[in-house]
Amino acid sequence: MSSSTSLTKASKAPKAGTSAVPIDVLHKDTAKLYTHIHPILLLSLYVFQFKSIVADPVPALVNTLIALGVLQIAYVSICLPPTGGSATPAPVARAGGKKKTAPGKLESGIQGKIIPAFLSLLLSTLAGTPVLAITLVLFGAPLTTHHAHTVLCAAHISFLAVLPAIYVYGVEGEKWRQIVAMFLPIDEVFGAMIGTVLGAWLGAVPIPLDWDREWQKWPVTIVTGAYIGYAVGKLLGGTLLKGKKIMFE
Amino acid sequence: MDNGEPLPSYEGLAAAFAKAKAEKEREEAQGLRGSTQNAEKDNKQGEVRFKAAHGLLVAFFTWILLLHILGIYLFTSGFLLTRLVLDHKSECAVPPIDSTNPYKLGSPETGCWHPKGFEKAIVIIVDALRYDFTVPFQAKPGDENPHHFHNAIPVLYETAVKHPQNAVLLPFIADPPTTTLQRLKGLTTGTLPTFVDAGSNFAGTAIEEDNLVAQLRKASKRIVHLGDDTWHALFPGYFEPNLTRAYDSFNVWDLHTVDNGVTDHIFPLLNPANTSKWDVIFGHYLGVDHAGHRYGPDHPAMTAKLDQMDKIFRNMIETIDDKTLLVVMGDHGMDAKGDHGGESDDEIQAALWMYSKQKFFGRSSPASTKPPQSAKERPVAQIDLVPTLSLLLGMPIPFNNLGAPIEEAFIGSHGKDYENLATVNRLTAAQIHRYQHEYARVRGLSEDDRAGPLKLWSIANDIWSTLGDSKKVSHEEWKVASSAFEAYQIETLNICRALWARFNIPRMVNGIGILSGTLAILGMYARGLQGDRTELTPVLLMRGAVGTVSGLVVGSGLGFAVPGLPLEHTAIFCTAVGGMLGIATAFWYARRRTISPIPNSIWGWVSVIFTVALSVGFASNSFTIWEDEILLHFLCTFGVLMLISSIRQKDVLDRALGCYHSVLFIVLTRAASFSRLCREEQMPFCKSTYYASATSSTSATWQLAIPFLVAFTLPNLIRSYYKGTRSYQGSAILWIDFALRFGLLLSAAYWTMDAADDGDWYPGHSETIKTTKIIIAQIVFAIALAAGYSTFSWAKPLLQIETKMKTGAEVEGSTGEQVVADAGSSSITILGYANVHGSRYALLITMWMLAVTLVQKPMGGGAIALLTWQIFSLLELVDTNKLSDTSVGPVILGLLGSFHFFKTGHQATLSSIQWESAFIPLRGIKYPWSPVLVVLNTFGAQVLCAVAVPAIVLWKQAPKKRGLLGDVAKAVSTHILFYAVINLATTIWAGHLRRHLMLYRIFSPRFMMGAVGLLVVEIVAIFISIGGVRNSFLSVAEVFGWA
Repeated sequence: MSSSTSLTKASKAPKAGTSAVPIDVLHKDTAKLYTHIHPILLLSLYVFQFKSIVADPVPALVNTLIALGVLQIAYVSICLPPTGGSATPAPVARAGGKKKTAPGKLESGIQGKIIPAFLSLLLSTLAGTPVLAITLVLFGAPLTTHHAHTVLCAAHISFLAVLPAIYVYGVEGEKWRQIVAMFLPIDEVFGAMIGTVLGAWLGAVPIPLDWDREWQKWPVTIVTGAYIGYAVGKLLGGTLLKGKKIMFE
Repeated sequence: MDNGEPLPSYEGLAAAFAKAKAEKEREEAQGLRGSTQNAEKDNKQGEVRFKAAHGLLVAFFTWILLLHILGIYLFTSGFLLTRLVLDHKSECAVPPIDSTNPYKLGSPETGCWHPKGFEKAIVIIVDALRYDFTVPFQAKPGDENPHHFHNAIPVLYETAVKHPQNAVLLPFIADPPTTTLQRLKGLTTGTLPTFVDAGSNFAGTAIEEDNLVAQLRKASKRIVHLGDDTWHALFPGYFEPNLTRAYDSFNVWDLHTVDNGVTDHIFPLLNPANTSKWDVIFGHYLGVDHAGHRYGPDHPAMTAKLDQMDKIFRNMIETIDDKTLLVVMGDHGMDAKGDHGGESDDEIQAALWMYSKQKFFGRSSPASTKPPQSAKERPVAQIDLVPTLSLLLGMPIPFNNLGAPIEEAFIGSHGKDYENLATVNRLTAAQIHRYQHEYARVRGLSEDDRAGPLKLWSIANDIWSTLGDSKKVSHEEWKVASSAFEAYQIETLNICRALWARFNIPRMVNGIGILSGTLAILGMYARGLQGDRTELTPVLLMRGAVGTVSGLVVGSGLGFAVPGLPLEHTAIFCTAVGGMLGIATAFWYARRRTISPIPNSIWGWVSVIFTVALSVGFASNSFTIWEDEILLHFLCTFGVLMLISSIRQKDVLDRALGCYHSVLFIVLTRAASFSRLCREEQMPFCKSTYYASATSSTSATWQLAIPFLVAFTLPNLIRSYYKGTRSYQGSAILWIDFALRFGLLLSAAYWTMDAADDGDWYPGHSETIKTTKIIIAQIVFAIALAAGYSTFSWAKPLLQIETKMKTGAEVEGSTGEQVVADAGSSSITILGYANVHGSRYALLITMWMLAVTLVQKPMGGGAIALLTWQIFSLLELVDTNKLSDTSVGPVILGLLGSFHFFKTGHQATLSSIQWESAFIPLRGIKYPWSPVLVVLNTFGAQVLCAVAVPAIVLWKQAPKKRGLLGDVAKAVSTHILFYAVINLATTIWAGHLRRHLMLYRIFSPRFMMGAVGLLVVEIVAIFISIGGVRNSFLSVAEVFGWA
């Protein structure tokens, strides 16, 4: 939408977080392959579950959420460098060196990746979900009813947008200030994050229409928008828009 | 902006001089007002220049307002069809014309004006029964095979063919709009419905003009109604309560509940044991209509539905007695998709079938024995049913009727009784004549306007008087007389139809043209000019005025000279076009100062996207219905963007303040959203909280606490925004802490007393309470406007000069201070310097806040308080994010105003207007104050936001910043631009969807709200906002001199 007009190349003297560089997918064939299969798997999962989500959102969203969690953990551990490998290639002890360091550390990778992946899962559940749920309520989600729906919707958005971000960017406060401020250059993780949020935002559009369709009920459209936004954002962030920065002025 | 850019030619020497002077002044500007003789003279000049520039600005915006008025007027006059509703009722004993035959008049037992034909009647409406559903399918080229809706309800045609004297089937043409409510009005009153039936009650839907149902009730007939509950909205309390069954008509997905309900309750009534309990039954089946809406006509569900109807009518034919007339009709048809509301053939061609066990109906010629094969042959108008049914049941014809008696029902079973036909045609024509006479008298129309019909009327009467003794008159002579009266009826109907039921498309299109052109001008002025707008306003205004005047001359000339052109329309259009052309040349002249108005930052795009998305949404009834939620969504989105932008700020203080205010802004928006008044269409997904319950319009007791809470907290909150820059000085202390708080407390007291009065808490003291509360309300207005404006006009800038002894380490980096002289051991500090313009001007916001709060219900008072808080937060946000030059501030104020319109208990419907607010400080209706009060209640939030617009650019600006007045003009024009876009969009959609099913319910009211809202906001922006800027600038300049 609007952001396209205000994207500039990263080289153009960014205001802050000067050293941030876009995240690359690990230089392994499996990683490069799976990063493209992953969104297809996610969307297939969602399409497969769609009918039951529409029929009875809460249990279906729980089931889908579990599957989503598994897929996301698989994605981050296969494709992405864990935290420490992103902003500055500082000599962090953990395995997550990016780019050329990867092949040599394949064995230690399992432990060095699975643990951060589960930590990201935990944090995106415990921190991301409540924050997003509150945001949803502020944006007009029902305050007194449909709590399970709203929280599950937030959890889906959190797993899509926040989980990979925690995995690659860590939990450092300054880093997250840069993320929220959109100072980071766009890569497939950050792009997917923006895409998810924008998708969820646009997902609210069909709710008021008087089409009397089952799928217009809360929160089906939001979750649908988030999934589609995730896939589009990830694709664009990893390719076309990679390395660009969002400028407000 | 003015650095290093080539100056446009017209500025020439004066500009060069001004620039040189500015350089000089800039050097001096650090100090206070210059003290030399020269500087004083300059200052005087500066003041004169400011006043002139300000006056021109007011003139320019007034000229824009004029263009808007012209555009809206032209569109409205072509779009809003108005008809005066006369309260007259026809009397049984007073026929419209002397009878010539020996019939004794005036008794409902035998018939009021004419001998009646039936004792009882069963009138069944099959919603959306199209004519071609009822006649056998005939193959046509390109349409060889019958559809699902064909041949499924053969009973009507069969009976009419087999027993033409018992049954008659005719095409029954509806007048658009083909919506059920409007149709029922037409079918019972015999009139053509228009949008504004002037004189009728706005708030209620009940039919107040004379109608068939009311006549039946007046004659003590027992009326039963079964089916669609629209009838109860139109005729509340008219029906026998224990026999009547109403069903919700909105659930179009439900095909059977209503129909089964009607069938279950109607047949027991037809049982001979029960026929004495009623005189007339109105049954209204909805299944066919719902099947059409849901599946479209060509669907097996439609076949099933029509088949069900077929069986029901066969059953009815069996059961009714021979004193009963059975009428079955469609109120409208349906289009190929099964929808209706418009004026296409399929939508207006319904069917009418009348049945009696007596041999009652006749045909004037053998050719017409069979029902017409298509609706184009021998159609009758729906309003014709009114006189027909009235006369058949012995009722007087409703006063406002324009229909004619249906020939088949009066010509006698042999088709020869032309005497009867002529008599009823004469009666009907006479009633129409009486009605038209009254209408012309009340409306003040001259006889010339009705010359055509009047001539026909006298011809018909001449023919009638030559007939003489009825025994010797031949069929032919009766026939001639009958047609003469019919001719009068037809001519009158045509004239009324042209008056009331036709949109004037050229007027609408030209109105939209004017509004679009004005929008373009405003858009260029707001976003397409560089530098100070006050420099360009003179040339714009000058050329605009020249253009306007020449346009007026040319237009009037054309209107007079060319006979085909309507004078008023031509003059208005040419005036507006002339003005716009004038402005266009001015923009061309100043082309070097113009830039592309297309946004170039994310904020510009945010403004555009919000505005355009909202405007596009108004094309959909759903998005119009849910506008309040959409605005909530947009405002929260803005808050989040502000949060992001704040986090991006480099300055830590700006960042922290920005984050705090953006979160606060979001939370306040959401908090305000809990105040809701749902419109009917939002049900069942919305719960009203504005009043005590969904069915009352009084506040709950707990809500009375809200205004008190506001009175205790809001002044403190406002104070905190002043204290941030040490601007809480001088008059502000007295005004905010004392007068404003006192006013708010009194307003709270008013609403408590109002509740006491409503609830009769102190029986016997109601008169005392009434008097006291009105006095209190008047005092509040006096505080807000009289005391407030005095404070605002004469207050010094909110500053304090402090002399401090230096204590060495004291380095206060506070933004609120300006050290002006730093000499040795003491320093002079001006407290409040940083926000001298903003703090001074914002007093105006608080004054109007008080006035607006008073006229809102307690819940609305809370919403206005939240709005005020949000406005101040927005001012801070715009400042900390350095956005005062962008369009986002004024546009968000527009969104905020629209949002809080809904939060103060309003909706874009006529029924949500809180008329009672006219009586808050007054006992009776007083012009012009009563309408002003209602406007202040309805558009209170928009008014407050419009008042706040200049503060966006004035908040925390240096006292001598150059071009500040131009910035105000830019912000104000951007704010008006927002409303102008909304107005243009709603106008276009209303015009485009003029035959839409939901026109009268959704699009028209939204158009009216947009138009009135735009005008109100413009007037407020010109005379209160820009007007207020004059006072605050003069006051600031008195201390700091002119820039």
